[in-house]
Amino acid sequence: MFRRALAGFGLALCVTLAQALLAASAWADTPTFTLTFKEDGTFEPQRLEVPAGRFKINLVNESKVPVEFESLPLRKEKVLGPGLSSFLVFTISKPGEYPFFDDFHQSVKGTLVVKPAQ
Amino acid sequence: MDQVAFIVWRESVEALLVVGILYTWLRASPEGRRGMPWLWGGVVAGLLLACALALVFMGVSTWLSDTGQEWFQAIMALVACALVVQMVLWMKKNGRKLKSELVSGASSNVQRNSWWGLLILVMIAVAREGSETVVFLWGTVLAGAQQNQAWLLAAAGVGGFVLALLTFYILQLGGKIITWRRFFQITEVLLLLLAGSLLVNGIDHLISLEAIPTLVDPVWDTSGVLDDSSGIGKVLADFAGYRAMPSLTHVIIFALYWLGIVLLYQRLRPSTASAAVAARS
Repeated sequence: MFRRALAGFGLALCVTLAQALLAASAWADTPTFTLTFKEDGTFEPQRLEVPAGRFKINLVNESKVPVEFESLPLRKEKVLGPGLSSFLVFTISKPGEYPFFDDFHQSVKGTLVVKPAQ
Repeated sequence: MDQVAFIVWRESVEALLVVGILYTWLRASPEGRRGMPWLWGGVVAGLLLACALALVFMGVSTWLSDTGQEWFQAIMALVACALVVQMVLWMKKNGRKLKSELVSGASSNVQRNSWWGLLILVMIAVAREGSETVVFLWGTVLAGAQQNQAWLLAAAGVGGFVLALLTFYILQLGGKIITWRRFFQITEVLLLLLAGSLLVNGIDHLISLEAIPTLVDPVWDTSGVLDDSSGIGKVLADFAGYRAMPSLTHVIIFALYWLGIVLLYQRLRPSTASAAVAARS
């Protein structure tokens, strides 16, 4: 059963990798935003406004400690060591306010504001 | 300071729950004790994997790209989910008729596969949360060193781990106070709930990767009633897969998971013969 499970996941992996390659070709026109973990333990910006649909957020950790971007409504968790940068790609169709926080410093919170697409 | 201890406790407790329950199960029978080396082997492998992942998170090593990390997380969660379910079903069968099975050579082969499954399950459970703990402690202690607080912070981290060990010990104690049968029933439910939350976590990652569609997103929003980012909602999210704003894909797969569990249990119940068939398929 275990081997079969592994084989199944292997197959799923191949299929989805192929899909990911196809999706990568649609990269160019993705709106991109930046969210910074400041050294004083705040997000910059605190409220990040984005259009509904597919968009990309660059995460920059300017602080001297590791941080973890986390949001269950946004379905993301991302650990960043001190001084590192990375990015996350979102696809959110429903406008509204989505909270996120730093899981390593739980008082540090922010909001993603998704505006209706024009 | 308390925050450091709390985060370490929270990150360790999931792994300790899995290891603790499996440990108690194995200890209960002489045949199970033979699985102990596999259990501890899994713990060691998990710690090594946690450190390897931590190196990636800290930007020291780049053996996994950003997308690679996401895939790795998705696959770890899904494999762990499958292995938890397999383990629960295997233990359930095993508890009933151990010795007769062990005599035949074919079943010792099954046994061997299950031990490997056990090792990998423990490895993933330790590595998943362990990697974050390593990054958190490492970074926090390094930052603290500049303010001459390193020892204090390290002590808080150790304190958190000791708290988690205490939780582990209480679990062991629980296995002694209540009857074995009751302990098995409770931990069985806990593990199946945890497997459900691992499944939901895996779906989160797959949706993030756009590997699977969301269909309708979200189907409903219960964040006003029970928020999944804090308090009880967060605990339910971590240990039972609760989501305040699930996609239709989440709802369908989660429902299929529990339906599958119910069906498997019904097949296990009537006779041991059909149980053996169910386990092999």
